[in-house]
Amino acid sequence: MFLALREMRRAKVRFALLISAIGLLVLLILAQQAIQTGLITSFIGAIERQSAPVLVYSVDGQRTLQGSIITPPLEKKIRSTEGIATSGRIGQGTFTVKVNDEPEDSDAAIIGYTDPAVGAPDQLTTGRLPNRPGESVGSDNDFKLGDRVRVLGPGGPDQATETIEIVGLADDAQLQVTPTLFVEWPDYVASVKSANPDAGGILPSAIGAAPVPGLDPETLAGRINDASDEADALTRQAAADETPGVAEVSQSFQVIFLLFGMVVPLVTGLFFLIITLQKSGSLTLLRAIGAKSSLLVRSLMVQVVLVIGGGLAVGIALYTPLSQAQLGDIKLSFDVGAVLLWSVLLLVLGLLSAVVAARRVLAIDPIEATTGEGGR
Amino acid sequence: MSEPSSTPALEMEAVRKVYEVADEEVVALDHADLSLGSDEILALVGPSGSGKTTLCSIAGGILSPTEGKVVVGGKDISGYSSKQLTEFRRDSVGFVFQTVNLIPFLTARENLLIVDEISSRDRKRASRRADQLLEELGLTDRADNLPSQLSGGQKQRVAIGRSLMNEPALVLFDEPTSALDTKLGDQMVKLIREEMKSRGTAAIIVTHDDRITSYADRTVHITDGRLEA
Amino acid sequence: MRLALKELRRRPGRFGVATVILTLIAILLMFLGGLLDGLTAGNTGAIRAQQADLIVFSATSQDSLVRSRIDPEQRRKVEQVDGVKTVGEIGSVQLGGRIEGRGLRDLVPVVLFGYQAASKGLPAPPTSLGEAWADDSLEAEGIEQGDMILVGPARSPVKVTGFVSDTRYAGQSTLWASLETWRKVQNENRPDARVAPGVSQALVVQAPAANQAGLATRIDEATGGNTSSLTEDEAINALPGVSSQQSVFNQIIGLTVLIAIIVVALFFALITVERIGLYGVLKALGAGSGTLFAGVLLQAVIVTLIASVIGALAALAFAAAIPAGSIPFIATGPRIAGSTFFLLLAAVIGCAFSLRRVLKVDPATAIGGGQ
Repeated sequence: MFLALREMRRAKVRFALLISAIGLLVLLILAQQAIQTGLITSFIGAIERQSAPVLVYSVDGQRTLQGSIITPPLEKKIRSTEGIATSGRIGQGTFTVKVNDEPEDSDAAIIGYTDPAVGAPDQLTTGRLPNRPGESVGSDNDFKLGDRVRVLGPGGPDQATETIEIVGLADDAQLQVTPTLFVEWPDYVASVKSANPDAGGILPSAIGAAPVPGLDPETLAGRINDASDEADALTRQAAADETPGVAEVSQSFQVIFLLFGMVVPLVTGLFFLIITLQKSGSLTLLRAIGAKSSLLVRSLMVQVVLVIGGGLAVGIALYTPLSQAQLGDIKLSFDVGAVLLWSVLLLVLGLLSAVVAARRVLAIDPIEATTGEGGR
Repeated sequence: MSEPSSTPALEMEAVRKVYEVADEEVVALDHADLSLGSDEILALVGPSGSGKTTLCSIAGGILSPTEGKVVVGGKDISGYSSKQLTEFRRDSVGFVFQTVNLIPFLTARENLLIVDEISSRDRKRASRRADQLLEELGLTDRADNLPSQLSGGQKQRVAIGRSLMNEPALVLFDEPTSALDTKLGDQMVKLIREEMKSRGTAAIIVTHDDRITSYADRTVHITDGRLEA
Repeated sequence: MRLALKELRRRPGRFGVATVILTLIAILLMFLGGLLDGLTAGNTGAIRAQQADLIVFSATSQDSLVRSRIDPEQRRKVEQVDGVKTVGEIGSVQLGGRIEGRGLRDLVPVVLFGYQAASKGLPAPPTSLGEAWADDSLEAEGIEQGDMILVGPARSPVKVTGFVSDTRYAGQSTLWASLETWRKVQNENRPDARVAPGVSQALVVQAPAANQAGLATRIDEATGGNTSSLTEDEAINALPGVSSQQSVFNQIIGLTVLIAIIVVALFFALITVERIGLYGVLKALGAGSGTLFAGVLLQAVIVTLIASVIGALAALAFAAAIPAGSIPFIATGPRIAGSTFFLLLAAVIGCAFSLRRVLKVDPATAIGGGQ
């Protein structure tokens, strides 16, 4: 310990540079981990938040609510599948809205449901579910309780359009990175007609279904798919994971993590190899006067742990305030699990990377102290 | 080639060098007076810590004196700035250090050309001079070898060659024989004398080895920063 | 200078470490940049292909194509605005395409556009009903010229008459057909978003350069404030996610460059320490600090250039190797050049940290040295 700390104190600048480089890398890795999670949640949060364990799209919908339409014959087939305890319509559209008296118009994704047990948010942070016409639950980072949201139509400000009041809030409830509202079916229909007065019969985008007790959602989804080629039934989680774009985002981030993750052990390992080579004279001297190899190696490993630990501390400290913020439309969060995982991973990788330097330490022959060849 | 002239190679008058080391004043060189003829070889003898390295450094324009006057080859360098000293060393002085003499990744020939490299003067002329020196020093067949491929004596000879590349007024040798056995050391000092005399170049050889003094024109002893005649 | 080069050539191992790490960082920068470019291209191709001077949406659409409605009356008003040369209608519908031979639930997401005006990016729309140009990303799905794609739940048939490049929209492949085809497909598949004849989603406006100033405002005034006219860049920024993607990525790239600076500073500091003895000798022989530092800079620049070349090759190889549609990545010249520039900047700044140490080297250390 003594040797390790003394050396670090004598060479503050280089160790400080290394720790700050690792700290920044840790910050970037954690930030990107949060961005990945936040990005995915802001795309499909609403899918995971709504209460139906099984979601049935039309095959043509390509597993998005926006693209899916359930025609009456299809709806009949779906709802008559054996094993369904409850089923309800789910409709979704994206609208131009005005929130309160804000000067700028904004976007809102509106999700309508006929049965709150299969379609409404399963958890609220505050407030309650709608129980009267004109009420809704909103995504909590976009709305506040009591906000009034007016759907805008082509007829300009004089057109009488649907107005919705926020009576409840849910978190991680966005769809397609858009502020999202959950409403009862009649309000959804009214919203669609406000935006497009020529709209004909309003069809649902999906059917939400819950299995009877004793039946798991996966099996039910399978049965619904068997009942009709037009149906695309998925469990709630599968619907979230298989939304187009989600897999792309995950894959892209995997490559990013791989690259950033490689930089840390590489920089650490090479740094320690170089300084080991540079101080081989002193190391030879120490061995000649009786220091054990294992002591020198342990000293090296202590430095590695301190450096990576220091970098982790710096990175996490920088990341914590960032994790409370919103990056553009993406809400970040402090994921303890991810932080722990990366801490352990980087520590292990760092120690492994120092193996080359350790081997160099072990290869030192104390006799070289006398021949003067210990130094380079 | 410098012609024998009456301009002294070195004139030091009342030179003092004082260092401040942890709140104490250390006098490395005290009231040194020294004069060297234009082709004179001086042996500077003294134990370690006697100040001989300091004197050499001041004479060679590596250090500035705290007090006193230093004139080398007719140039008064006493008040030269760091930049002026750098230029002066490049153009007027040769060095043969005790260790770390040669650049390890350059061949013998390239080590000679390093001075021209630094100042980018006449490349062709420098090239010819390098080849000539290599021949005179018996190193022509070693011209393309790296220092790691040369013996101790050969390395010293390359260093001597390099010190003569810029036709200096004065060459400073710092313990040139310390790493050589008696026979090689003897050969080395003979070679130094030959090279200096044949060119009429002055030299100061710093050494703690009294046997070498027989090859010098004059010997000066130094102890605790003070010169004795 | 030549000394610095000789050292690089004769002692490459000494610089190997810095080169390896800089190469990794170069690959990182180019990957991040290529990812951003790929995402952006996939989002904005359709709009860029219009080469429009202005794109006119309806005022309440939030500049979103799918929510916008332009009727013939508004089109007439726009055409009559002073300075407008040509006006083309455009409409879109996002549906799933069925291709022969693929599984039941294995649909290809496509956006079908109806348009009028040809541009450098798009030939004139096919005159026959039910025919369309296809973005060449559909070739990766196995589609060939003459193939039929059945679009949407109504299985509207669309025949591919040829291919166009770089016309994707919102990350999806696109089909380009006449307005009639689009309206037919839209009405068959999206009854709740039915469009009457003559109705479109937006207008593509071309105007001679001399008339472009203030044209957007004039158009919006002429329609009584019922339209929102945007330049191509504004329309692109209005696409969901585009500007936030760019800002997030640019921040990450910026931080990565900062890391590169620190890493270069670190490793060149280590290299400099090893050469203190050498610098002492060189200074004693008369080399100025400037010369020595220029040598260090030169080495840093060369090492960085080597790293950039390897990084660029890796980026190009990656772009060629990934299966189409898996990761949105494109390797472009400007991006590679830009990444190289930033890496060089990082190298120069990182080297500057060693400047002080080079300046401090005392030539006196060369004499009497035993170390």
